[in-house]
Amino acid sequence: MTRFLFWRLITAIPTLFGMSLLAFFIVSLTPGDPVMQELRAMGSAFSPEDVAAMRAEFGLDKPLPVRYVLWLGDAVRGEFGTSIASGRSVIDEISIYLPATLTLAASALVGAVAISLTLGIAAVSAPRGVAALLRTFTVVLVSIPSFWMALLLIWVFVMQLGWARLVGNGSLGDLVLPTVTLSLAAGASLGRVVHERIRAEMCEDHVRLAIAKGQSPASILIRHIAPRIIGPLATAWANTLGALLGGAVIVETIFGWPGLGQLILQAIAQRDYPIIQAYLVFMGLGYFATSLLADVIVIISDPQLRRGLAYD
Amino acid sequence: MTDVPMSLSKTYRRRLPRGFAGRGGLWLGLALLGGFVVLGFAGSFVSLPPPEKIDLLTRLAPPSAVHPLGTDHLGRDVLARLIGAVPVSLGAAIATMAAILAIALPWGLTAALAGGKVDALLMRLADIVMAFPTLVLALAVIGFLGASLEASIIGVAAAWWPSNARLLRALVLSARQRDFVRAAGLAGASPARVIWRHVLPQVLPPLAVIVSLEMASVLLVLSSLSFLGIGAQAPTPEWGAMLNEARPFFARAPHMLLVPGLAVTLAVLAFNLIGEGLRDMLDQREPYKW
Repeated sequence: MTRFLFWRLITAIPTLFGMSLLAFFIVSLTPGDPVMQELRAMGSAFSPEDVAAMRAEFGLDKPLPVRYVLWLGDAVRGEFGTSIASGRSVIDEISIYLPATLTLAASALVGAVAISLTLGIAAVSAPRGVAALLRTFTVVLVSIPSFWMALLLIWVFVMQLGWARLVGNGSLGDLVLPTVTLSLAAGASLGRVVHERIRAEMCEDHVRLAIAKGQSPASILIRHIAPRIIGPLATAWANTLGALLGGAVIVETIFGWPGLGQLILQAIAQRDYPIIQAYLVFMGLGYFATSLLADVIVIISDPQLRRGLAYD
Repeated sequence: MTDVPMSLSKTYRRRLPRGFAGRGGLWLGLALLGGFVVLGFAGSFVSLPPPEKIDLLTRLAPPSAVHPLGTDHLGRDVLARLIGAVPVSLGAAIATMAAILAIALPWGLTAALAGGKVDALLMRLADIVMAFPTLVLALAVIGFLGASLEASIIGVAAAWWPSNARLLRALVLSARQRDFVRAAGLAGASPARVIWRHVLPQVLPPLAVIVSLEMASVLLVLSSLSFLGIGAQAPTPEWGAMLNEARPFFARAPHMLLVPGLAVTLAVLAFNLIGEGLRDMLDQREPYKW
């Protein structure tokens, strides 16, 4: 396992390097001058010298490749410069907003996994009519855009019933509606994966044998099916977490949840490129870490892979 | 589906009435999609006010005989905008899907057929793009190009193609391993003939499933971007953008919220039902009952 992790990290170096290139250049090559924009936003008159001075302050006077090397050197040490709009360090800005986004994504993932297992297992074990109804429910749920779901929930629970409020301060109570919105959609699409995987296993002979031996559905599910689908499901969970982190942008905006989504939309509007670069790097790294964890689960759950690793 | 043996096709028929999400779902999905196409063309036959026509005297009017679905905050006819958005929303999704396939098909095919170092290189490059969540990368590309419908099409396609390239590579690899494909190669068929006659026909049916399910997701993402204000720009009628415009007013005019949201949901549902229906038709296996 250590050996696998070692090689997985070594082979990830080119990918991470390419990721940093992409994050740096896609933002740096973006048309629009952040310095001019910021100076104009300040309102006071400014001379060409002011522009040159500010350019030098943010290192924008150097050629692009040099800027990339400098930026990467800093980034490796966890330095992402200062935000052009607020003047605070990017790490400070991100650490203010990151916890809220992580809390939302984590609670939505827990909700989504619970919903998906319920939907997926019920769809194979319930009587025909109920199962068809559940699948219908799942397909419809997958098809509802999260922003519409969010607005409908607001309409019902905030405006009609008055059970929740819209402008929150990031407390636990304010977490409920955004979590429900995100986990319903993610749970339904994961539920499709769970259903498909279980159904595919139930076509296999080892399940037929277990049925013939008279094992109970619960025991078949836990002892024969679960070990074989946990790997693919872990991969799907990792992908879902990535989608939740990204998709949170929309839901955070609608519910006023103080997360990274607010920060990034503002940064895109203001061309605050150090923030956008850092956001891309953090998202990429977070996604990389989750998929690594998923790979570890895949290997632990698959004896063939486990033994194969022990032999090489 | 023509060469299914008798016995198989019997179990297949017995298994199918799985309700809504089976073959019934496929037909319902096709009917929904057909409905949208008819709706798209209906604009030119029914006399409706132009979707951009502003009438400040009838702002936020509820549904009535003149405006069957009411009017929005600028007094524009919601039905006219809904219909005007059909070619915009569906067209954008089709354009995005075409762009994704235009990259993913040659990429996946080349990787699978070339193998070795070319395969490794192409897949590493795809991995780099896949290292970012789709929406995050699409946002960065749109930031790069400036907010517009075209930019969101390019952004989504640029962030989306790698997963499809990977799927296509996997499909081609498994299709190539089948005995009859190897036999064709051993019997002296040219590589081009093997691919065209034996590999592609195996890849196309699962590809049809993938494409229709992906169309559903692409539609969702594009309308989300328009909803965030960085996709289709005013005054273009687009379902996501209509919802964005409705946000400040939906307490007073709920129809502005319900109509475009329902349109997106039904269009996405149509593609999901078609995709799932096709998959059910292709997957002939019957699960054992406990």
